[in-house]
Amino acid sequence: MDLSELERDNTGRCRLSSPVPAVCLKDPCALGVDEAGRGPVLGPMVYAICYCPLSRLSDLEALKVADSKTLTENERERLFAKMEEDGDFVGWALDILSPNLISTSMLGRVKYNLNSLSHDTAAGLIQYALDQGVKVTQVFVDTVGMPETYQARLQQRFPGVEVTVKAKADSLFPVVSAASIFAKVARDQAVKSWQFVESVQDLDSDYGSGYPNDPKTKAWLRKHVDPVFGFPQFVRFSWSTAQAILEKEAEGVTWEDSAAEEDPERPGTITSYFLSQGPQTCRPQVPHRYFQERGLEAANSL
Amino acid sequence: MAAGRDRGDLAARQLVFLLPEYLKDASKKMKTGLLFVKLVNPRSGEGSFYLFDMCLQQLFEVKVFKEKHRSWFINQSVQSGGLLHFATPVDPLFLLLHYLIKAGKEGKYQPLDQVVVDDMFPDCILLLKFPELEKSLRHVTEEKEVNSKKYYKYSTEKTLKWLVKKVNQTVAALKANNVTVGARVQSSAYFSGDQFSRDKEEDYVRYAHGLISDYIPKELSDDLSKSLKLPEPPASSPNPPSKKLKSSDEPVEAKEDYTKFNTKDLKTGKKNSKMTAAQKALAKVDKSGMKSIDAFFGAKNKKAGKI
Repeated sequence: MDLSELERDNTGRCRLSSPVPAVCLKDPCALGVDEAGRGPVLGPMVYAICYCPLSRLSDLEALKVADSKTLTENERERLFAKMEEDGDFVGWALDILSPNLISTSMLGRVKYNLNSLSHDTAAGLIQYALDQGVKVTQVFVDTVGMPETYQARLQQRFPGVEVTVKAKADSLFPVVSAASIFAKVARDQAVKSWQFVESVQDLDSDYGSGYPNDPKTKAWLRKHVDPVFGFPQFVRFSWSTAQAILEKEAEGVTWEDSAAEEDPERPGTITSYFLSQGPQTCRPQVPHRYFQERGLEAANSL
Repeated sequence: MAAGRDRGDLAARQLVFLLPEYLKDASKKMKTGLLFVKLVNPRSGEGSFYLFDMCLQQLFEVKVFKEKHRSWFINQSVQSGGLLHFATPVDPLFLLLHYLIKAGKEGKYQPLDQVVVDDMFPDCILLLKFPELEKSLRHVTEEKEVNSKKYYKYSTEKTLKWLVKKVNQTVAALKANNVTVGARVQSSAYFSGDQFSRDKEEDYVRYAHGLISDYIPKELSDDLSKSLKLPEPPASSPNPPSKKLKSSDEPVEAKEDYTKFNTKDLKTGKKNSKMTAAQKALAKVDKSGMKSIDAFFGAKNKKAGKI
């Protein structure tokens, strides 16, 4: 798989796709959606769709594609190569969401959680296939969250297509299994060849699986905390694992929407108004509106 | 990494300053040409920082831009606070006035070196070093010469005349800079210069009076207001309204019957109507399973406190 486009800029999202097989433009097709790298605190999340004509589903099954989690890395690579060979009837497309995009989405002023991000990415890929002229009639999706609501949402978005959302769809429908293999292979390659944006010295790449419960990953995270900046962009800042480490190891930062911040101008407890504080000193005059509006005041200390 | 954190407190504080271009040359010519001094703030009577240029014999006031949630990245370092300092020329007469008014209460002519005396801010003698001092003192004092020594007495009348001129100059500057002065506009940041044409002359004078009042004591400001024939500010004054109610002899009675708002529907209805569009959009977002960003940046100190 050619990931050079991702390597050029891995701070946003990157879409890769195969050319659309001619047969998919005229025959009704089934389309599978799956993802890889939803849980890890490190690296990108990859969404994949795989589509093929309904009439050729048996050929896809004959390849013995199965749920990517049950396959070894070598088997996945082999199946991936085979499906690429069968480019005359199997088409695919990928959306690689960088860890930076995941962090900034989830930690933005308007919160955009991982489920919404996932759902929107999946819908975007299905739309992409439709826009390319693929004659999609059935969509199979491995669920993220509640299958019922997810299915209803997708069905509403694509009324002309029969949408099936199921847990473990990757072991039930061959198109979803195939999509899961594309996603997993792309995720593995992206992580392996990750180009760090930061010019950090002795940044080792021995971070284990990238999942939060992996002790190796945790140790790597703890080793790579900068007191000011935190982690490199390879880390998903929005993960509680990452946040817990920042809280302990990095300097405090308050943002405009930091709710926990103590406001010194907030009124004190009600009792403070009743306690006598000696002669009431005249409240210092506030500067003129011109200065207040511009955040200016006289320098009383330097 | 831990060493880096410890260094944080020791790092020298960095100030970000905006200085007039020409001060660059002044400091080159004379190493000791510039002096930061704490002088009396003519409005509050407290100490504020000023920059004194020995070479050009000029005085600058130091103002600070200070807003919440700001920090600087300066080269390879971080400076917390995000302060931006400005040194802008100020008329030293404003500072001298503080002393002249005080001495003026005694009602006699005095030599300047007896007037400008301050135990708290001994640097005030620098104020006597300005080249055009005698000329500018004529704006605010009566003077007498005895044995070629000058004696001065504060004159309210002359000072007010001088201040009215200052207000007019400020009005001109406000207009030239398209500063929004209307009482109905709370923040000029959101308005373009289009507002300019709709502001009334009286608004400009009131605004300029307010600006000048930041440089003179309160009593003088009130007198100036009268000289400018400014009417009492309207009820919707730009200044934050005082919470104190006007005392009156009449018995206070509730003007509205609040009990009728006590139904649940009305209460919730009112709450919703108060939310802005942006707040509504925020409220709708699915935030399940997510922490707010401050949860991992902010609360550190409190945690440490608990342990």
